[in-house]
Amino acid sequence: MPSVSDRAAPAHVDGEAPGRSRFDLTIVGGKVVLAVVLGALVLAFPMMATDAFILSVGVVIASYAAFAVGWNFVGGFTGYISLGHAAYTGLGGYGTALLVLELDLNPWVALVAAAVLVALLAVPIGIASLRVRGASFVIVSIALVLILLLVAQSWASLTGGAQGLRVPRPFGPDVLRPEQHERFFYLNVALVAVALAVWWFIDRSRFGTGLKAIREDEDKAQALGVPTGAYKLAVFVISAFFTALAGGMYALWFGYLDPIFQFSILIGSYMVLMSLLGGIRSLFGPVLGAVVVGYSLEFFKVHYGDSQFHLVALGLLLALVVMFMPDGVIPAIGALVDRFRPQRSSIREMTAEELLAHNASIDDKSAGTATATDDERDLATVPPRSGKDLR
Amino acid sequence: MSGSLLLQTLILGVLLGGLYALLAAGLTLYFGVMRVVMIAHSAFLILAAYLAWFFHQQTGLDPLLSLAVTVPLFFVVGYLMQRGLISRLRPATLTMMSVLLTFAIALAIEGMLGFLFTGTQRRIQLGYSGSSIEFFGARIAVVKLIAFGLAAAALVALFLLLKMTRFGQALRATIQHPEAARLLGVNTDRIAGFGFGLGLATAAIGGTALALDSTIYPSLHWHWIGPLMAIIVVGGLGSIPGAAAAALLLGVTQSLLQLPLGTTWAQTVFYVALFATLLVRPQGFFGGRLAQRF
Amino acid sequence: MRRTGVATLACLALTALAAGCGLGSGDAASGDDDEIVIGISLPLTGDFSEPGKGVQRGYEAWADYVNANGGLLGKDVRLVILDDQSNADRVASDYERLINQENVDLIFGPFSTRLVVPAAQVAQDYGFLFVEPAGAADEVFEQGFDNLFYAAPAVADDHYNLLAEHILAMPEDQRPQTAAYATMDDPFAQGTAYGLRDKLAAAGIETVVDEVYPPNTTDFSSIAAQIADSDADIVVGGTQYQDAVNLIVSLRQLGYQPDLAAFSTAPTNPEFPEAIGSQTEGIISPTGYTPDATFEENVAFVEHFTEMHGHAPSEDEANAWTTGEVVAAAVEAAECADPSPECQQELIDFLRDATVDTVVGPLSWDPEGRPQSAHLIQQYVDGEIRIVMPSDAAEAELIYPKPAW
Repeated sequence: MPSVSDRAAPAHVDGEAPGRSRFDLTIVGGKVVLAVVLGALVLAFPMMATDAFILSVGVVIASYAAFAVGWNFVGGFTGYISLGHAAYTGLGGYGTALLVLELDLNPWVALVAAAVLVALLAVPIGIASLRVRGASFVIVSIALVLILLLVAQSWASLTGGAQGLRVPRPFGPDVLRPEQHERFFYLNVALVAVALAVWWFIDRSRFGTGLKAIREDEDKAQALGVPTGAYKLAVFVISAFFTALAGGMYALWFGYLDPIFQFSILIGSYMVLMSLLGGIRSLFGPVLGAVVVGYSLEFFKVHYGDSQFHLVALGLLLALVVMFMPDGVIPAIGALVDRFRPQRSSIREMTAEELLAHNASIDDKSAGTATATDDERDLATVPPRSGKDLR
Repeated sequence: MSGSLLLQTLILGVLLGGLYALLAAGLTLYFGVMRVVMIAHSAFLILAAYLAWFFHQQTGLDPLLSLAVTVPLFFVVGYLMQRGLISRLRPATLTMMSVLLTFAIALAIEGMLGFLFTGTQRRIQLGYSGSSIEFFGARIAVVKLIAFGLAAAALVALFLLLKMTRFGQALRATIQHPEAARLLGVNTDRIAGFGFGLGLATAAIGGTALALDSTIYPSLHWHWIGPLMAIIVVGGLGSIPGAAAAALLLGVTQSLLQLPLGTTWAQTVFYVALFATLLVRPQGFFGGRLAQRF
Repeated sequence: MRRTGVATLACLALTALAAGCGLGSGDAASGDDDEIVIGISLPLTGDFSEPGKGVQRGYEAWADYVNANGGLLGKDVRLVILDDQSNADRVASDYERLINQENVDLIFGPFSTRLVVPAAQVAQDYGFLFVEPAGAADEVFEQGFDNLFYAAPAVADDHYNLLAEHILAMPEDQRPQTAAYATMDDPFAQGTAYGLRDKLAAAGIETVVDEVYPPNTTDFSSIAAQIADSDADIVVGGTQYQDAVNLIVSLRQLGYQPDLAAFSTAPTNPEFPEAIGSQTEGIISPTGYTPDATFEENVAFVEHFTEMHGHAPSEDEANAWTTGEVVAAAVEAAECADPSPECQQELIDFLRDATVDTVVGPLSWDPEGRPQSAHLIQQYVDGEIRIVMPSDAAEAELIYPKPAW
């Protein structure tokens, strides 16, 4: 086992670096510069896109990023992996479209209203599916997409069924298509930014610490008084809300809903792949994953067009990530410094290490003079135990 | 609605339930030995169906003969998959990660099938495809009867294997208490691999049975995985008789519901049952000692 | 110049951001003026791959024929065909790419109603003429597209018109009294069956079974059981291909013998007799096309296609060819074929009022793009596909009631 200080590095990648040593400060500074540069590049993207097609690819990738960040509220904080988040993008899309079409709402009001409705709907779904852990949760998440697909297909009087549903464009006819792409690109980026801010905020809160304790070891967290049920449900609803917003945004942009493509397990699996690839416990992991996956999908399509091979590639990529990089690229890069070995880590284990390191650093600095808050110290007692259990 | 239609539907439900039962038994085995929910099970099912179709296409022989190849082949593949992939995942996150891993395998299989055989729907055309047997005013298609017979025979064989043989004892011991089994000298790793192989072999048999009377295409496995997942949850994860009972029950219910509700809505019975089970009795209705808090 | 510099810089910096460097097609040199580039997205993989490939064959045969006969406006025609994987998201992004990156001069439509609507939206946004070979369902024409034309004789709801007229003209005592309908949950398939259902129901022929099944249904035993139990006089399937085969097998397993059995699309497929075996006799289907039609264009088409492929074309190929003919007629009339909105608008304006001679006969359109012609009715007679309606094109008498299957 590497010593505690070795493992301090991956902890910082998570964005919750205590940042006290000079080394850490350099890293933090570097990250800030990197973030600013990347942010500027993102914002400048529409101006650099050479044509409207590239721009539309950018919109798709930004949408994927919004999906993945929405997904990551549940996946990242609690470790509950949902393969069925397409249920919420689909519901968000249909909700937005139906509110616009049936109630004549302003599209943007409809977008938010639909997301709120989906969040409300996520409450009973969450209560049912969060009762179970591990495999059953995944089964339920898949079942949810399949059942919604059936409903959307069968309830043709509302959803248009297989005929599909055309979503009116939110901008007037004078806004040409390339300009629409540009606007939706920025809207999606803004959505991602808001979602990330909320994620970051939760990450630092007592709520977030409790959630991470659940991911760590649910029974122990419960024993220590974390209201696991309420916490899980709350973050589940938040996740559904943001995912639905992203889905509604996509529907407004794309302008056409078909049940088969809205409630698709593939979309749900993209979200998982993107988040896992980037790293579910890091702030920017899902965004990075979305860019990589979105780009690869497009690249594959352009260069290896007419074969089903893209599915094989997707499957292999997912398998490789699960087998060798379950923590994602960002932590893996950090761990590369630390001699990269297959299956060295898993979601829980990394967290254990990380909190262990965190804990140790608090101890080192004599009870967290700088940034450790009370609740962090409370919980610092949890992880080491399970860390030992796991080893 | 006439009585004969009801009887007809009931019989169809039982015949369908038989196939569900066999497949659910396979899923239960994986779950028993490894606590793994094998999403790729139905993808292997379709793979086996494709192999049966391909075999028939190439040789013109009865697709049932392809079982001689697919069953051992799938057993070996299952064993290797467990030894080479599943058992290498970290135990701490095994249930989550194995779902993703088998999901990835399912995607890869679907992609390969589409790549090799295109997305065209395939169907085995047999001399006896259209023939049927009269039974109290209901008619039972011969192919469906063969498929059901195959499933039932496989299920009985599986049951006998588990109950009567030393291997079965070792396997059950591994399922029930791996540590104790290990202390008694059972090589639980190997046994778990064999359990996986057995599970996959059920997919081979089920796939061949499916190919007899159904159209197949690469993405068909999504159609199966939902109902199968619902069956094993309702039956109680880990219990083979539970899974079989739930399979028959849900198969018949689905068939009967098709009469008043139509095909699409009838399918929702699986998901309704799934959610109801989770709300009322998360450990499942039939057996399911294993399912609690996993 | 400066823009290129910025783009290169961006590509270097953005490998992670993936703006789409490497997504370019490489041969954007389609700007030269001695050829006309036509962009098409087709489902070459995925659920619609079979008909998609048929449409592809039709398009390619058409381009080949045009180039062998002096080209279009004296220029060679080049097709750029992308695969949309039968996916609506993809089809939109494909047309986006064709128009913006491949700089195509014209576009042709994709296959299947599901894919036509999103594709037509892109075409409309860029002002392109959109002639499509396969979006027959009525709602395609209800979306307010003013650039869309369907290159086939009639929309889905009208496919069975001739059959409906024929049944209703039967003497009261011979007329079927009950009918069973089973349709795939697909806009096109449903349109065909419901068009017939509504006409027959209005005339008092009772609907005893009316089932809808999802596109991926493989088990038809329950639906067949209901149809058999109702013992309806006629059975109508709003089908695509495999579902019709499965439904027929299931109906035969139950010993059900209707007086008339009509299925959309499937019986026009060359593989249908193979899949059903010897039991095709008497099965009816609407068809937009027959290789035996004597239109001048059709004779040339069948000859050229048979030379290329060794067999006569089927409906998908014919629809694709028709699409080509329709667009070519507009191009010849407007004497332009470039992506500029002016030219595209001229093409659209021409087709509004035009009647174009095609392999399926003369076609004209209503303001929403619905073709104003009629589908033929075909039947298997002595193991061969024969046109039985309308009477002036009939090659055989309608067999009614149909022989047992």
